[in-house]
Amino acid sequence: MEVIDNREITDNVFILRLELTENALKPEPGQFYLLRPDSGYDPLLGRPFSAFRWNNDWIEFLIRKTGRGTALLSTFRPGDHIRILGPLGRSFPPHSPHKTPVVLAGGIGMASVYSLTLKHKAEHIFIYGAKSATELLLTEDIRPRVRELYLCTDDGSMGFQGNVVEFFTEFLKKTSSHSIVVYACGPEKMTKSLMEILKKYNIESYLSLEERMACGLGACMGCAKDTKTGMKRVCMEGPVFNIEEL
Amino acid sequence: MNLEVKIGKMTMKNPVTTASGTFGYGSEYAEFVDLNLLGAVTVKGISLEPREGNPPPRIYETPCGMLNSIGLQNVGLKNFLDEKLPYLKGFDTRIIVNILGNTIDEYCELSSALDGKVDAIELNVSCPNVKKGGVLFSNNNDMLRTLIKEVRTTVKTSTVIVKLSPASADIVMQARICEEVGIDAVSMINTIPAMAIDIHSRRPRLSNIIGGLSGPAIRPIGVRMVWETHRAINIPIIAMGGIMTAEDAMEYILAGATAVAIGTANFVKPTVTLDIIEGMKKYMLIHGIDDINSLIGGLIC
Ligand SMILES: Cc1cc2nc3c(=O)[nH]c(=O)nc-3n(C[C@H](O)[C@H](O)[C@H](O)COP(=O)(O)OP(=O)(O)OC[C@H]3O[C@@H](n4cnc5c(N)ncnc54)[C@H](O)[C@@H]3O)c2cc1C
Ligand SMILES: Cc1cc2nc3c(=O)[nH]c(=O)nc-3n(C[C@H](O)[C@H](O)[C@H](O)COP(=O)(O)O)c2cc1C
Ligand code: FES
Repeated sequence: MEVIDNREITDNVFILRLELTENALKPEPGQFYLLRPDSGYDPLLGRPFSAFRWNNDWIEFLIRKTGRGTALLSTFRPGDHIRILGPLGRSFPPHSPHKTPVVLAGGIGMASVYSLTLKHKAEHIFIYGAKSATELLLTEDIRPRVRELYLCTDDGSMGFQGNVVEFFTEFLKKTSSHSIVVYACGPEKMTKSLMEILKKYNIESYLSLEERMACGLGACMGCAKDTKTGMKRVCMEGPVFNIEEL
Repeated sequence: MNLEVKIGKMTMKNPVTTASGTFGYGSEYAEFVDLNLLGAVTVKGISLEPREGNPPPRIYETPCGMLNSIGLQNVGLKNFLDEKLPYLKGFDTRIIVNILGNTIDEYCELSSALDGKVDAIELNVSCPNVKKGGVLFSNNNDMLRTLIKEVRTTVKTSTVIVKLSPASADIVMQARICEEVGIDAVSMINTIPAMAIDIHSRRPRLSNIIGGLSGPAIRPIGVRMVWETHRAINIPIIAMGGIMTAEDAMEYILAGATAVAIGTANFVKPTVTLDIIEGMKKYMLIHGIDDINSLIGGLIC
């Protein structure tokens, strides 16, 4: 697909906008794509990225430079071509009208849950954390789309001082755990400690997990995660898992 | 133009199949590839019982290649026969089933359960023999000979292929053993044992520490091994290892392969198998070749 735009929004995060062909399947929130350059074998495999924003003509990915693949993608310019495969995987399921959706985003995990706020207008409680204020992205863009926005930073440079899970623990003291449904995506450490709390309070929750991938199609078994019912492929049975499976 | 090739009793409409473990059970790629167009579909290695495989992380990318330590996760024989095989039977293509066991008995049980139901059985012999203290069948010529002799006598109808490991001490000798025992064909090469380290955490990149290297990085090794083996045996070779394009496939055919299997390339481009078939036809057209069989081992040197 042709690159339409590639914008740096901080030192190491960029938004890559690619053309979508007319009959291309549109993603659902939580689904992802594999992206790779159109030629060459190094890097070899596509890298997984969540569908961030899209319309009929284009799709955007919010990408943080972490290594060679992402650094290379950041150099693509309008007119260049990128091979994309998707939409892949399972999306966040819709929530029951009786429950308030609470979104927890840690770091670049925001890319995966952001689109939930596009579908359902201003009904989400959005809790978003990062290391520091400069790493909290697009907060003014998120604010009007959600019912409440809470920001957290590890260094206290903006909002609550502490991480998303610490904030959420406080938040739960004022909230009935049966009245909410949680959608979360963040680094592995966050997911792990979050899971403990979600399980303790028996909260209906859906978590997006990460694993290294090769095929993205359920064929190679490379992206397996251990679950209650055995090894599950993040690209097929995930990336969004019901906490009851974990 | 003839692209048809014969591997034992199995006739393939063209020389292109998929490498075991990289194409699932076929259905995973059916959205991208009309399976009817492939010479054969080779499925993920099947064991008697389902296997859970190794803990993650299971893959790691290296320059022009990848390491995997899937640990042979698969659905097991019963599920394969009940669900995966009927699906594949709906296509006009050959079915090659890769099998793996912990003992000679397990290989024989698998072979006899599959015999006649599939076009070919491919033995993955890079598995530890639990009865012999976990030594890989592919690491010991005597053990290999005993194994493939037993399977040879068990299988009556299907074509029998032995998949050779580039890690064995002498792959050419093992191919000779296959021929002596009456195996129909050999396939080569399996992945090359390799590893990578995260220098910051000082931990291995794969939970299993060692994995198998595949992809374009290993192609020249595969080509060399196919060429050496082709000179030593008269049974057909199914070649694999880093084939990304039709040119790569032709290189293997000139080195002595009768058919080629596409592995890691499927991850890079899901439709690559079809591109390769078309590219091979183009090569034949440009070079005025009527029959692909006339190119096998056509290296001039
Ligand atoms: C379903 C899914 C959705 C994702 N969505 C996004 C997104 O929207 N935006 C974004 O910036 N990132 C996302 N990621 C993470 C992204 O895929 C990795 O950061 C990327 O693959 C790293 O590639 P690289 O070549 O730059 O890094 P490498 O040089 O390969 O590795 C650099 C670092 O990234 C880690 N890494 C490598 N592959 C993955 C992976 N598949 N998942 C997690 N970490 C990995 C490595 O462990 C290492 O620490 C997602 C991952 C998954 C599985
Ligand atoms: C993810 C993955 C899984 C594999 N699983 C199997 C397997 O189950 N049985 C087998 O004989 N070979 C297996 N292989 C090896 C391939 O069939 C092939 O021999 C090897 O990858 C070299 O070809 P390539 O470079 O084109 O991938 C696997 C390879 C990969 C990358
Ligand atoms: S990436 Fe191949 S099975 Fe998920």
